Amino acid sequence: MVRVAILRFPGTWSERDFAHALEVAGAETEILWHDDARLAGFDAAIVPGGFAYGDYVRAGAIARLSPAVAELRRFADEGGAVLGSCNGFQILCEAGLLPGALTRNVGLEFRCDWVRMRVESDATPFTRGLRGDLVRMPIAHGEGCWTADEATIDRVERDGLVAFRYVDERGAATPDANPNGSANNIAGLRNEAGNVVGLMPHPERCAEEVLGGVDGLRVLNSLVTSLGTSPALAVR
Amino acid sequence: MRYTATIHVRPKPEVRDPQGDAIRSALGSLGLGVASVRTGKEIVVTFDAADESAARVAADTMGRELLANPVVEDFRVELSAT
Repeated sequence: MVRVAILRFPGTWSERDFAHALEVAGAETEILWHDDARLAGFDAAIVPGGFAYGDYVRAGAIARLSPAVAELRRFADEGGAVLGSCNGFQILCEAGLLPGALTRNVGLEFRCDWVRMRVESDATPFTRGLRGDLVRMPIAHGEGCWTADEATIDRVERDGLVAFRYVDERGAATPDANPNGSANNIAGLRNEAGNVVGLMPHPERCAEEVLGGVDGLRVLNSLVTSLGTSPALAVR
Repeated sequence: MRYTATIHVRPKPEVRDPQGDAIRSALGSLGLGVASVRTGKEIVVTFDAADESAARVAADTMGRELLANPVVEDFRVELSAT
């Protein structure tokens, strides 16, 4: 069975939702407290949403300095699959595991809503077979405006590192479909190797019909299927 | 020696500052039309260091490693002995 670690920092709020949704997808999960997180023996690690360490200084800035993120960096360097959602995406960017930064939403509103995205890359264990698909997921964030210098924006586009893009119902990346002002409507990114993915929306909150959608389950199913069928991706 | 470092953090000039935009619009409501507003924050840190150069190195490290995100922010340090 695919074993997934879920990191929990002081202020993390989505770890139990992830544990439940991953169990629906058929994974075995364990929630690890930040100060003694050991990832050896896990196939994947999740950095869930919330407000790690209160998000003081900046979202994800203090988490970046924690022992759990040092462990996460080792795990990712060895090829372990890592998914950061919402505050987890902010932490991955602060830690330099993904490029750019997440800044205050344009308009300053905290956005709690459903968004539509197109899956732009299937070169990750979280999006196998999903490229080109439109998916709907909830968001809940005040600092989700992905920003980088022009060279970095060009590089992520050229190298196919955009994993998810905010689009309208016809699949067009319009300003109206962009909930926070992110550059190029970028909702999620992958790293060059494809094993690290971050996105602002919450796949764990749309993994059962009763929650209003199951597109999040498709992402988690992809993880379970990818790691279950290609053990080379798993860190043992 | 005891030093006080005031570390000023601001969004880089090319980075949007929605908080500054909101303040500009609020100033407009006061009848004070202004061309632009940029916001930032200052962090005041008091600490001990062997001498001024060691204090400056420490304050720069604080700015670079924690207080500013080099992707989107610049910082500037003002240092004084207290």
